[in-house]
Amino acid sequence: MSSPLDKPQIISHFQKSLNYTVFDSKWIPCSAKFVCLGNYARGTGVMQIYEVQQGEAQLIKEQEFPKPIKCGTFGATSLQQRHLATGDFGGNLNIWNLEVSGTPVFSVKAHKEIINSIDGVGGLGIGDGAPEIVTGSRDGTVKVWDTRQKDSPVANMEPGEGETKRDCWTVALGHAFNDQDRCVCAGYDNGDIKLFDLRNMSLRWETNIKNGVCCVEFDRKDINMNKLVATSLEGKFHVFDMRTQHPTKGFSSVSEKAHKSTIWQVKHLPQNRDIFMTAGGAGNLHLWKYEYPSQRSKTDSDDLAVGVAGSVTLLQNATLSTQPIASLDWSPDKKGLCVCSGFDQTVRVLIVTKLSQV
Amino acid sequence: MSRTEASFPPHHRAPPQDCRVPVEHLDYDYIGKCKDVKYLEKICTVLRSGDEGIYPHLIMFCEDHLEKLDPRSLALRKEKPVSTAACLPNDEWSQIADELKKWQEETKASETSMKQQSMFDALVFENMPPIRGSNCSVPLCQTSVQKEKRTLSKHTLPRDYREWDKFDVEKEFEKIDRNLDKPDAPAIINQGHPKIKTKVDASLLTQQEKLLLANREKEKGNEAFRAKGYEEAVAYYSRSLSIQPAVAAYNNRAQAQIHLQSWHNAMRDCERVLELEPGNMKALLRRGTVNNHMGNFQMAVEDLRVVLREEPQNAAATKLLLEIEKKMKERQPEQRSRGKTILIQEIEEEDDNDKTRAKETEKGNTHGPLGNVTYYAQPVGGEESSAAPAERGDMGNTQKKPHSRGDGGPHSEPNNSHHGHRRGKGASAEKYRVTQESKEKVANGSGKRGSTASDPADPSSRKEPPVGGNAGETVNLDAPCGALPPPLSRLKNEGNLLFKNGQFSDALEKYSQAIQRFTDSGMNSPEDLCILYSNRAACYLKDGNCQECIQDCTRALELQPFSLKPLLRRATAYDSLERYRKAYVDYKTVLQIDISVQAANDSVNRITRQLIEEDGPEWREKLPEIPLVPLSAQQHRREGPPSAELLQARAEKAARDAERKAEVRFTAVKQEGNDFVKKGQYQDALGKYTECLKLKPEECAVYTNRALCYLKLERFTEAKQDCDAALKVDPTNKKAFYRRALANRGLKDYMACSSDLQEVLQQDPNVQEAEKELEEVMVLLRQSLANVSPAQPRTTVPITEVAGDEETPGAAQSESSRGEEPINLQLTNAYEYGQALNAARCSGSTAACAALLASTPPERLPHFLSTQLDGNTISFIMQALDSHLLEKDPHLVYQHLHHLHTAHRFSVVLMLLEKDERRHMTQLFEHLSAVQSAEFTKNDVQNLANKYI
Repeated sequence: MSSPLDKPQIISHFQKSLNYTVFDSKWIPCSAKFVCLGNYARGTGVMQIYEVQQGEAQLIKEQEFPKPIKCGTFGATSLQQRHLATGDFGGNLNIWNLEVSGTPVFSVKAHKEIINSIDGVGGLGIGDGAPEIVTGSRDGTVKVWDTRQKDSPVANMEPGEGETKRDCWTVALGHAFNDQDRCVCAGYDNGDIKLFDLRNMSLRWETNIKNGVCCVEFDRKDINMNKLVATSLEGKFHVFDMRTQHPTKGFSSVSEKAHKSTIWQVKHLPQNRDIFMTAGGAGNLHLWKYEYPSQRSKTDSDDLAVGVAGSVTLLQNATLSTQPIASLDWSPDKKGLCVCSGFDQTVRVLIVTKLSQV
Repeated sequence: MSRTEASFPPHHRAPPQDCRVPVEHLDYDYIGKCKDVKYLEKICTVLRSGDEGIYPHLIMFCEDHLEKLDPRSLALRKEKPVSTAACLPNDEWSQIADELKKWQEETKASETSMKQQSMFDALVFENMPPIRGSNCSVPLCQTSVQKEKRTLSKHTLPRDYREWDKFDVEKEFEKIDRNLDKPDAPAIINQGHPKIKTKVDASLLTQQEKLLLANREKEKGNEAFRAKGYEEAVAYYSRSLSIQPAVAAYNNRAQAQIHLQSWHNAMRDCERVLELEPGNMKALLRRGTVNNHMGNFQMAVEDLRVVLREEPQNAAATKLLLEIEKKMKERQPEQRSRGKTILIQEIEEEDDNDKTRAKETEKGNTHGPLGNVTYYAQPVGGEESSAAPAERGDMGNTQKKPHSRGDGGPHSEPNNSHHGHRRGKGASAEKYRVTQESKEKVANGSGKRGSTASDPADPSSRKEPPVGGNAGETVNLDAPCGALPPPLSRLKNEGNLLFKNGQFSDALEKYSQAIQRFTDSGMNSPEDLCILYSNRAACYLKDGNCQECIQDCTRALELQPFSLKPLLRRATAYDSLERYRKAYVDYKTVLQIDISVQAANDSVNRITRQLIEEDGPEWREKLPEIPLVPLSAQQHRREGPPSAELLQARAEKAARDAERKAEVRFTAVKQEGNDFVKKGQYQDALGKYTECLKLKPEECAVYTNRALCYLKLERFTEAKQDCDAALKVDPTNKKAFYRRALANRGLKDYMACSSDLQEVLQQDPNVQEAEKELEEVMVLLRQSLANVSPAQPRTTVPITEVAGDEETPGAAQSESSRGEEPINLQLTNAYEYGQALNAARCSGSTAACAALLASTPPERLPHFLSTQLDGNTISFIMQALDSHLLEKDPHLVYQHLHHLHTAHRFSVVLMLLEKDERRHMTQLFEHLSAVQSAEFTKNDVQNLANKYI
């Protein structure tokens, strides 16, 4: 990486201004289409589907809903169906067939308040086991849903009696490398990160990173959990090595102060788990690479294994806007293509080059 | 939104008050000497803030210096605007844009195909794991344990003596013990290696999904490999392979197995790769490594030599080879030696192996953890060594044969590569014995050869003369040769000897004589003739006469399909003529017969790269079909049943081949059809096109082509039907419209004709033929509407059309070359005819014109001339008839004259004839009347003359 042109470049392919606030944008798997979720100024929700065609976005479909939509995922649907699961401001979890407008194929009042974050696993051929959706809400609970079970969640992680309810800002699924094992990671506004083991139905690990956790993501959902990235309100992110858990020290981590403001999103490249992009509150994107240490674990004085964190390198950065970039999604099919949207009511499609060479 | 409030920090932060940077420090000297990174960062911030004035050069200097000290410094991170397409070099961007566009099209296509596929939802649901135990509540805190711990700690230390007295040591110990039993963290830590299933049930998935999944599993394997989780990597590669076997995944798994030092598994994977793709460099290199570790140095050396011949700059191979050679030397005096061994790690990013190979070297260098070569102090333990002999035993099957086999000279009798043909063909007992012996020799030799003649790079072994092993035999020129009679075998042996001595042209002569006599004698022994041809081909090849060589080889192969040497020679000849596709096919066929022919392996690799360069990733589609070699002709096959995965891979390959074969056959038949059209053999072309349509009923171009044939054959109804069919496939096909118009005209349906022509003109107003045709048709239409039948009904419908459209690509060429050729005698329409006639007239060659007229059926002449008729032409034709044809065939002249006057506009032209031209005509009639003939009388001539003069 001697000359600047050898580095990956973040190129703005095109952008499109919208007349509503976009909260989430997601590529539809196996297609050149993406879906944008948000709310109109009049307080209703909106879902739009765009197709990338000759360097611009073509609106294919639009639908309006009573409640603003906060987040969506394709993680728990089959490649053939490609149903989108969304969480809205009213706490409803809906699953939509994008081919047919109208009523959702699955709908449940999941939470009392806004669903801040949603994630799915078991679909798209990613992850063994049943397709499950996890939702995290302001009401302080994290719930796991199986679409085959209509009214109640299959797992519910809630604060005990008398405990203060913390706003859950983000959830992520992972560790789904066989039929039984599966983990949910949740981040809260007070900086708590909690890892729930769905196999044992117990809290496996928790830590606090001092500042509100805006986003957590496993580097891959369908492997024995390897790395977890958590981003925080004040512009730091932490990369945890999830392979070795020490009984008291937990997972070791490396942290990096990347942005001067909140890191709203982190997304790993689907084609290479060691590369990830963070999106910041000042409208900038940073592309990172994690490098493993020579030994991923060592034994401490008590003969217990303790993990060793690696290091992160900044590959490239780019400033898109002055407003926060609230959502980011890599195309699962085309390496280097990503869509991001910000509070400047714009959705952008970016191309990141030379990702195979880093 | 709860998070928004915290997201806007102040934009510019003033440098901290407490440690101001003095102005003196903002200086080149000071900055240059400063080693304190923190302080430099501060200086940088001050400079950038512009509070002390703006000094762009100083800022740059400061940044450079800081970068030298700490390249990762946060102060160096600058906000960059997002790049746009304009920031990239033009070609790079266009490449990206192209790729993107291709991807869009591909995904669109695959998306629609996916939608059409039936869904197995019910089945999928059945296979799903059950729903989790319903609505389990998980507490957010590990409350109970922590609380207990706290209460315990409160009581541990006694505060005064009284408490000490009460302190019960036993009890405390018990407590501690109990505490130890209970771990403080309730976390369930799965240590050791969790089980990853190595099989994926992909039976319900579509092909597309399989590919996607297999790729993803492979990527996971690659990632695990990079993180040095080799066992995990092997598991994921196995998963990928269980979904869909692929070369890259096998190859990568082999590498991971090498790291795990499970040599046998690695070997198996390498073998599989080489079976699927012979000559895969990485697999060879890895097999070399494995062989080295298993103690099979000889085989390792062979593999590495092959690699080095293809990629001489391959550092890993060179190093390993040196190691092994050293080891082998050490081994000779003392049996065991232990040294460093090398592991070669390379991992493929993409599944397209050929593509990666080019990139590989550079990639290997830039990759930190994936560096090309790592030294790996690993004793080749006694265990491995002891296992080696057994392994070597079964390795024998796949072991490479020495390379002299590759491109030797002509067949010498006993070393013939196609055994078995000759047996029981009524040959002499003596001959039979000879063959038998030699076969035994080969059988025994193959084991030995591996160790003795193992140096493939040795040039002498490659240029081995034809009669190599049995030099003694060459002295005896009368040694019997197959079923050849003594004089012929003598000729052949002489040829062999001459060839061996390098007198190729003399050898050539001998072989030619032998062939001549052989054919004269009318013997029935195709094997021997095949050998003779093959040997002569070798001479041609040596002489550099590749064309002849190819011809001889082809003849030899007609006599004996799938004989190794002629195939190999033809391949070499094609190769040197740079006809790589054909060469590739021949080499591939050779490899099907005998996979161990090194020359073929090498050339295939070389040509593959060449073709990829020429044709891009779709190069395989442009190949002619590779013939399938029957099992009986295959030699040196691997024993043992292939694995299920391999079978699957083969089945898929066969399916693809079949598809391609159909495609190839289709194009071939179509081409034949086009050729017939060019030659004017419409009836034959018709047959070909019909065959084409049987293969592919949806091909628009074939319909229009067949329509043209029907038109030429004046079968208008069928022509119209074909045009209709073409328009059904492609509703905007201009050509189909035009030809339907012509067919309609032929059917006298002028209304439909004109509407079709208008359609053509609407699509492309520049089609002059259509315009002209339309004018004519409008006239005809008006006439027919007025119900006035023309005085003289037109006998034929002129079909004028510019040939040389994309469907009949050769036509344009033949037209352009007509200028040099005297005349193309098989002309089919008025336009071509007119062109030919004009050409003849321009050159003033009445002979050419006469030839033209001789080949023209007299009754078609007026039709051909209809557009061209003027005084000059008539007089020119008269001269030609008079001077050339009259003597040879007066009847033809009469017939021509008999029909000529019926031509369109003839009477008008006649009136305008000049004196000279009239004179030519009178002369002709005079001469004609002087001729005595049975077919016409003087009276007839006189009557005819009245019409002209």
